[in-house]
Amino acid sequence: MKKIERRTVVCLALTLLLLLGLGLFVVRFFWDGEDWASFAANRHLYNSQGQLSVGRVLDRDGDVLTWVDESGNRQYYANQTVRMATLHAVGDPNGAIGTSALVAFAGELSGYNFLTGADNPFGPGNDLYLTLDAHLNYVAYQALNGKRGAVGVYNYETGEILCMVSTPTFDPANPPEIQEGDEQYEGVYVNRFLSSTFTPGSSFKTVTLTAAIENIPDLFQRTFTCTGSTTVGGEEITCPYAHGTMDINAAFASSCNGVFARLAAELGADTMSEYVEKAGLLGHYSVDGISTAAGSYDVAGASEGQLGWSGVGQYNDLVNPCAMMVWMGGIAGGGRAAVPHLIQEVDGGIPLPSLPFGRETGALIQGDTAQVLANMMAQNVVQTYGSGRFPNMDICAKSGTAEVGGGKQPNAWFVGFLRNADAPYAFAVVVEEGGSGASAAGNVAARVLDALVNGD
Amino acid sequence: MNALPASLQAGLTVLRQLPADHPDFYAWYTLILRFLFPVLAVLMLVRIIRSLVKASPKPEVWAYLSLPNGASEPLTHWENILGRSPASDVLLNYPVVSRQHAALIRGAGERWTVYDLGSKSGTFINGKRVEPEGSPMTLGDVLSLGGVDTVLLPVSDQETARRRKAAQKPVSPWGSLILLTVFQALTALQFLFSADEEHVLLLPAAFLCLALVMWVYCLVLRGMGRTGFEMETIAFFLSTLSLAVTASSAPGSVPKQLLAIFLGIVLFLIVGIFLRDLDRVRKIRWLMAAGAIFLLSLSLVLGHERYGAANWISLFGFSFQPSELAKICYIFAGAATLERLFRKRNLGLFILLTGACMGYLALMSDFGTAAIFFVTFLVIAYLRSGDFATLSLICGGAVFGGLVLVTVKPYILRRFAVWGHAWEQASDAGFQQTRTMSAAASGGLIGVGPGEGWLHRVSAADTDLVFGMLCEEWGLMIAVLSVACIAALAVFAVRCCRAGRSSFYTIAACAATSLLVFQTTLNVLGSVDILPLTGVTFPFVSNGGSAMLASWGLLAFLKAADTRSNASFAIRLPQTHGEQWLGNLAASGKKTAGKEKRREKD
Repeated sequence: MKKIERRTVVCLALTLLLLLGLGLFVVRFFWDGEDWASFAANRHLYNSQGQLSVGRVLDRDGDVLTWVDESGNRQYYANQTVRMATLHAVGDPNGAIGTSALVAFAGELSGYNFLTGADNPFGPGNDLYLTLDAHLNYVAYQALNGKRGAVGVYNYETGEILCMVSTPTFDPANPPEIQEGDEQYEGVYVNRFLSSTFTPGSSFKTVTLTAAIENIPDLFQRTFTCTGSTTVGGEEITCPYAHGTMDINAAFASSCNGVFARLAAELGADTMSEYVEKAGLLGHYSVDGISTAAGSYDVAGASEGQLGWSGVGQYNDLVNPCAMMVWMGGIAGGGRAAVPHLIQEVDGGIPLPSLPFGRETGALIQGDTAQVLANMMAQNVVQTYGSGRFPNMDICAKSGTAEVGGGKQPNAWFVGFLRNADAPYAFAVVVEEGGSGASAAGNVAARVLDALVNGD
Repeated sequence: MNALPASLQAGLTVLRQLPADHPDFYAWYTLILRFLFPVLAVLMLVRIIRSLVKASPKPEVWAYLSLPNGASEPLTHWENILGRSPASDVLLNYPVVSRQHAALIRGAGERWTVYDLGSKSGTFINGKRVEPEGSPMTLGDVLSLGGVDTVLLPVSDQETARRRKAAQKPVSPWGSLILLTVFQALTALQFLFSADEEHVLLLPAAFLCLALVMWVYCLVLRGMGRTGFEMETIAFFLSTLSLAVTASSAPGSVPKQLLAIFLGIVLFLIVGIFLRDLDRVRKIRWLMAAGAIFLLSLSLVLGHERYGAANWISLFGFSFQPSELAKICYIFAGAATLERLFRKRNLGLFILLTGACMGYLALMSDFGTAAIFFVTFLVIAYLRSGDFATLSLICGGAVFGGLVLVTVKPYILRRFAVWGHAWEQASDAGFQQTRTMSAAASGGLIGVGPGEGWLHRVSAADTDLVFGMLCEEWGLMIAVLSVACIAALAVFAVRCCRAGRSSFYTIAACAATSLLVFQTTLNVLGSVDILPLTGVTFPFVSNGGSAMLASWGLLAFLKAADTRSNASFAIRLPQTHGEQWLGNLAASGKKTAGKEKRREKD
């Protein structure tokens, strides 16, 4: 009997397996429970069409962008243009836009918590206030004027994203039937501001210039000559016209490709890669849990000429507009910027402690370099873009006109920030096939910033 | 509804209107209730589970063996091995004694039998060599092991009485039963609000009925002197959840489920009482083996398919799963007394039976049940032989067989391909698992309330996915508690086996426990994508008559291992002898008198 008694341990081993498995489930339950509950088949939170049937999304002023009517159907803001301008921030009824509030913040909207699950005793659904101002989105959407692109403006001290528009868009109140390959709706479910990457063009010269300031001691003593075409490593780097003889300030203001290609080649692939990385253009930011797309700067095995092109934001460089905006915020903030966020406040349900200020980025640039670069960018506006377009703003900016090939018009970029103490905003605008950066993207930026700073 | 007196009808209408008339009050009531259910369950179960897990039944003493050095060794089992090995039940540390020398086995009516276990120096009773098929021995006989003389001595009634007094008492059942009744009453009330018009009286009545049966059962057995009700309370608690789950998913089946619980209790009593007598049990082992084969072949011949496994038969309008009852037969056939283990050492016939059962189950595509049978087989085979080499060989064979099966029928593998990737295939192969997880998360810790969930609309929610329904409607706490209940049963069974009377009880209890535990593992972890979803039931909780019957039937094996004094009806109360009943130590006249006396006491 003794032997058999000892062997009964197998029972305990099986029981232990059961309890371990149960423990794993409980851990997952706490870890993933919110995601499990935010599933379109969950009838506690979603109606039979799979629409989130609880919670309201509001903008920073309290304008209700979407709510649920008495019959459980999701309704959207009355004005169609506002609906279209806020589509990617708010979300579509089918939950096709994964980075929208209705999908990404479903847990916050439903008031899901571990204790009472999806059935919140304080009433169904929460009010989710976004940091966005729907009016700015409206202005930005109008300014894009039907072009594909992305606009983002945020407060680099607090991290609040004030404006975030991605086009093409559609009306969530009347979602169209989109056929595959339909040009009009190409990539419509992607929020280009958070989830896309674009060739940066000359806006990338801010990074090359940063590396040059910190690594080439006599940079400001040098003079450069541009004949409209410069040979770097056997490759011909062209400019729209001959810029003539100039110092680095003038080369930056006139955005001379030849000069910056030579600087990039001189700095070398390793130094360039290090600075792109440091500028935060290759990493992801977490915008309230939404991961932004990472850019890429791949010069491994590139020839000297290709390295030159990469220094002017061509070759195979790609950046994400949101990361570009934060980079601008970093320059403005003397090295660091707040990480952007979208949730202003979640109202209702069990009060959860929320952080009044977002987290900060690491050091994107050295403080004194940032100062120099900011002054040069301010000079750009005065000299090239025209400060009259930006009334009441101490603005620093850089445009970009990124060649994308394939017979398409170049992508237009306009990035920068304000140094006004009462208007600490950084912005990034990209207009696909927009043509000249300073005019196409610059106009969009000008209109949004004007509405933001001066009202309209 | 029409049969109700007008005043009651009016009262019911007012009650049903309450949520609409006083929404604030009702919301608070529901919220408090949602917190109250887990609290009740914790209060009720924690004491029981602690009592089960901490129970350490004292060994019973059936006789003494006096040794040459004057000491006397208690015989704490019905089956004792005598020898020099430390694993012996009575350790005789003499060079002439073999490591496993002899077995001393107590049969019905205190008839002792001695078997020689192939000792070198031989075993003798009163100077006569022990027969190969065993020799009877009575109290007072001299048992000689290679020249080491021992005498079998009785235990006095005074000592038995003293031991019983000193024994650990099971916890009092009444507190838990009252809490469980409150739990059932509140559940009944909740269904009064949430049930549809058709079942508005049926559902609450079912819960009250169950409470009534529970009290009748406990009071009657308490009246008969039994004290341990922990296992039954756990089973009643899980059965209550089963009724609640059925009431949510298929209110029409509630009477059937209630009937299944009653029949389950009857089966529990029959099997338990039957298990009291080992001779009786031994005689029907063959019948039980045949029964297992018969039940499985029945479902193969008459079976029709449901949810992918063809293990259902329909008779007289009732659907039935014979494979559930086959589990009870299988354990009956597989467990063995020590006596048999020595006479027939190999597992040949048992392996044959297992092979047949597994073959039938594979033909029915019921792989979950096949896995349960296989694990039960491994547990029984290990307890019986302790032989890792043979077991590894068998496992290897099983893996090979599985590979052959998968090669011949590759579609089987596809059924399990979604395992671990449920969310990637949420709308087809992972449909059930993703819904289970989503609903489970929606319940939070306290659940959304009985009858308020949606998972029951998914197919097989109240059977294969029942853990999800528990999480959703009753909350994670109660769901985890119900799994803990099963685990507590297992720990208790193992602890009881430390003071087991016969290896039959020990093996049967361990096999039944392992079966219940493994089945729970497959059900719970399968439904949430930690294991492949195999479609087995959660013992006691899943909706289904045959599963409920089988669960109660299997519980009888555990009950038969509970040797705490007076605790279990499946165990004969220890007999008192009145006057000395000393075998051939006493005069023959006295012996008859003693027997008569004993009969009076029975």
